[in-house]
Amino acid sequence: MASTLDRPPVVPAPAPEPEPQPEPLAPWRSPRITKRVAILGVALLVVFAALFLRLWALQVLSGTNYVKQAQSNSYRTVPVLAPRGPILDRTGKPLVVNAAATAVQVWPSDLPKSRYGELKRLSQLTGVPLKEIVGGIAKRKDDPLTPVTVVPDANERLVSYLLEHQTDFPGVTTGRTYVRHYPYQSLAAQLLGYVGAITSAQLKALGSGYSPTDRVGQAGVESAYDSYLRGVDGAAKRHLDALGRPRSALVPTALPKAGHTVRLTLSLSLQQAAEKALQDGIRLAQADGQWAARGGAIVALDPNDGSILAMASSPTYKPSVYSGRVTTKALAAQGLTPKTAQADNYPALDRATMATYPPGSTFKPVTALAAMQEHLISPYSTLPCTPSYVSPDDKGHQVFHNWDPGVNTQMDLPTAMAYSCDTYFYQLGNSFYELPGDRGPRLQKWAETFGFGHDTGVDVGTESAGLVPTPAWRDAQYTRAKDPCCWQVDRLWKPGNSIQLAIGQGDLLVTPLQMARFYALIANGGNLVTPHLLLDVENPNGTAVPIPGRPAPKHVNVDQQALSVVRQGLWEGTHLSFGTSYPVFGQFPVSIAGKTGTAEKVVSLPGYLGLKNQSWWCGYGPTDKPTLVVCAVIENGGHGGTAAAPAAAEVFAKYFHVKVKQTTSKHSD
Amino acid sequence: MLEYAGSQRAGLQRHREGAALAGVVRSLDWLLIAGVAGLVAIGLWAVSGVTHFTIAGNPSYYVKRQMVYAAVGVMALVIGLVVDTDVYRRFWRPIYYGTISLIAIVLVLGRAARGSTRWIDVGFFTFQPSEFGKLLFVLAIAGFIADRSRASADPSLTMRVLGLGVVPILLVFAQPDLGTALVYTSALAAMLFISGTPWKQLAVLGALVALVITVVLWAGPAVGVNFLHGYQKSRLTCFVHPQKCTVDARYNLEQSIAAVGSGEVRGRGVRNATQVNLGFLPESPTDFIFAGFSEQRGFVGASLLLALYLLVLWRGLRVITMARDLYSAIVAGGIVVAFLFQVFVNIGMTMGIAPITGIPLPFVSVGGSSMIANLAAMGVLLSIHARGRVARAPRRRSG
Repeated sequence: MASTLDRPPVVPAPAPEPEPQPEPLAPWRSPRITKRVAILGVALLVVFAALFLRLWALQVLSGTNYVKQAQSNSYRTVPVLAPRGPILDRTGKPLVVNAAATAVQVWPSDLPKSRYGELKRLSQLTGVPLKEIVGGIAKRKDDPLTPVTVVPDANERLVSYLLEHQTDFPGVTTGRTYVRHYPYQSLAAQLLGYVGAITSAQLKALGSGYSPTDRVGQAGVESAYDSYLRGVDGAAKRHLDALGRPRSALVPTALPKAGHTVRLTLSLSLQQAAEKALQDGIRLAQADGQWAARGGAIVALDPNDGSILAMASSPTYKPSVYSGRVTTKALAAQGLTPKTAQADNYPALDRATMATYPPGSTFKPVTALAAMQEHLISPYSTLPCTPSYVSPDDKGHQVFHNWDPGVNTQMDLPTAMAYSCDTYFYQLGNSFYELPGDRGPRLQKWAETFGFGHDTGVDVGTESAGLVPTPAWRDAQYTRAKDPCCWQVDRLWKPGNSIQLAIGQGDLLVTPLQMARFYALIANGGNLVTPHLLLDVENPNGTAVPIPGRPAPKHVNVDQQALSVVRQGLWEGTHLSFGTSYPVFGQFPVSIAGKTGTAEKVVSLPGYLGLKNQSWWCGYGPTDKPTLVVCAVIENGGHGGTAAAPAAAEVFAKYFHVKVKQTTSKHSD
Repeated sequence: MLEYAGSQRAGLQRHREGAALAGVVRSLDWLLIAGVAGLVAIGLWAVSGVTHFTIAGNPSYYVKRQMVYAAVGVMALVIGLVVDTDVYRRFWRPIYYGTISLIAIVLVLGRAARGSTRWIDVGFFTFQPSEFGKLLFVLAIAGFIADRSRASADPSLTMRVLGLGVVPILLVFAQPDLGTALVYTSALAAMLFISGTPWKQLAVLGALVALVITVVLWAGPAVGVNFLHGYQKSRLTCFVHPQKCTVDARYNLEQSIAAVGSGEVRGRGVRNATQVNLGFLPESPTDFIFAGFSEQRGFVGASLLLALYLLVLWRGLRVITMARDLYSAIVAGGIVVAFLFQVFVNIGMTMGIAPITGIPLPFVSVGGSSMIANLAAMGVLLSIHARGRVARAPRRRSG
């Protein structure tokens, strides 16, 4: 070692004074290298200064921000669904309520990258096709932080399995939800509507307050009064790890507010009666040989304020098919898909408001009132009721037949209505045709005044306006393009058009609800009411919630004298032996007034195209102080007195708590 | 060492070596030892906190293993301390080829872990040669340089050093372990620097490195040649352009920064450290352990750790100046700069001021190879220091 060599001599040289020795350097060492180490030392200081400063900046200066970031990282806010408000009938009986359920949800952001196996297992467990789950996730591609509901109402076994195997299903959670429950199954199905996942179009239209995971009313009351029913969702948070597995229980941060209770004007018992009556009416029609009678509608109104007490439509479906997981198969089985709807005769269609029919003779009161208002007749002067009628103005000399070819007698207006004499009304129709052109189509004007040809303004559901044909409409309808052969003739309003219109035939189309509203006008002395279903709204504590005011009944300037003549005619129709619905209402314990209708309509059925009679009956009771209007239609049901009148009678019987005698069938108009 | 003739030779030598060893023990750098001991202790503390919930029901699993590694590492340190650095210098060739073969064996035999091959499974322990290779690489290259020290101004020597160094670097890079390859590169640069390579040559080398970086990161991909895996490049550049990098790369960086920041001054403690415990922090026991430690122990704990690193590095730099000979000085320089590079890149990446590369944090990250190799390197540093002081001691006494 070098040390032995460098040892100083044993005998020191005679040095006068030992020089102060500098720190000795190894032979390899040069100032250059020391300098380089110093450079490294500076680099070391710079590096550590950077690290310290950065650490200080992160932890001391902006630490609180990062604490927040870390917390929001680990907390996941979950919506807590508000229970949807129940829907009650007018007496408070529940029509739609909630059932608690457990939903199985997938959080797309928390799914592992290789998710195929997990989703496949989930699909096998839940029975939901993998394609559907993947599709749901794909739909939520832009918004991975809201869950995709796989099963809205999972059974207990599935839920407990998922809870036990939580670690195998990262990103899959179970949560409390509610599903709609229908204690009376198909009762008022089209009226009540159903709840379903919000569509993107709805989300856009409804705006703020709705989220893409919401379920909203899709039809009927559920849709019309969704804002009352839905409540306000609450929120809860829970700890989640980076793989989305829950690490703590849910801690509520905002309590959900339950939806309001919506009470309808509907009467549960009357609705049940109306639906049963409708089935009975269809059965009667079929027993009478009307094989095509497969549907219909009954509307029961309070004529004084327009409250809908019952509104039945047949065929119908069970809205429970929409609660829980909705499958195309289940929908198809109930005729709720476009493919199966026709075979099942369109059960989703609310025939009371959306279907239009020619009204036939039930329209005769309109003609009668209009004719009196226009002074075309005096009520108690007579016109001949003949087997047939040819208009003197008709260049084609078309013959219009009476339903009863054996009659030939003079009749006044009430009798003509009660007997439903077509030829009497043909003459009135022709009189309207003969009115000078500058007065316009007066019959149509009155029909529109009485609520035909436009919406009734009912608060729930969609409705058809129907059609009141006018010369102008005809002119616009028949063009060269649409009717190349005969448009020049067809577009003209001819005497036959007025004649047919007078007995509610031809192009005229009305909805059962429009008809009921018109009979309410007759019953209440000339007020056009707005039909409605909403009675009141209460919050969960039982306090009333303000609701928008209803339009007041609109008084129609119609002569009371004329009205009483029409009422007389309707009374005679049910009380005098020649009245068309005398067999049904003649012995009825409560005095009922009304009118039958047998309206020909060109129908297209599978394997059949031709004319079918629509069976109508509209009326009210008690006749002296009416409290109920009933309008019944049996689609393709034949004569009004055969099918519709007995059905309407059942509704009255229920309403007045009386027994109805099973009626005998009679063919009349 | 001077050789004496005669029968006394062997006995004297034995006596002198014994005396030298005693001198070595007496002249240890106790501050450096204290710093290393502090780092190992704080490292175990960090591991025990960060891995507390990693294995359910066994909170001390990792810390126990890490303690075993530390114990083995202390033995390695003692060996490093006892062995005379001259031995490495004499046998630099076998060391060099041994290192290359070890790393090559990993490439051939090693098992794939997370897409990269860095380990050799030897039953109870997965052995990561590239960690030990850091030290062996320094020992070998320094030997080559020291043997030719008189020609240190000759550019051809620098070229040959580079040629020698580039082989193991490329092998490590091919594993692929970009981070460790960069550590090797930093050690190589430090050794050239300490050995006295002229500034002009260093400048040329610097320009060359800049060119390589440009080609690898920008020009290469621009013409369709990719030297790096996509994730490597994305991680490297993410900290420069956080807005441009991929979601995954940015996610890791953001979570790491959030972990560090959320520690605030006093830390969130083990139980409340949600970034670690709920798995938001990636690779929390290994590459990102500094972020986990900072979240749990706050600025107080993290700056204590930084201070200990600073202490060890300062003592390390001092060792270079104390070295007995050029070889020892180059070795010390390589070890210290590689250590500094690892500390800076690892801690810097967790705070978003250095690129994300898979470099473990010395003495702290979970892992046996890194712990043992780093302690062995500290042993070599201590040995250099001690032998340097022993060499100078008599002079001082005479003065």
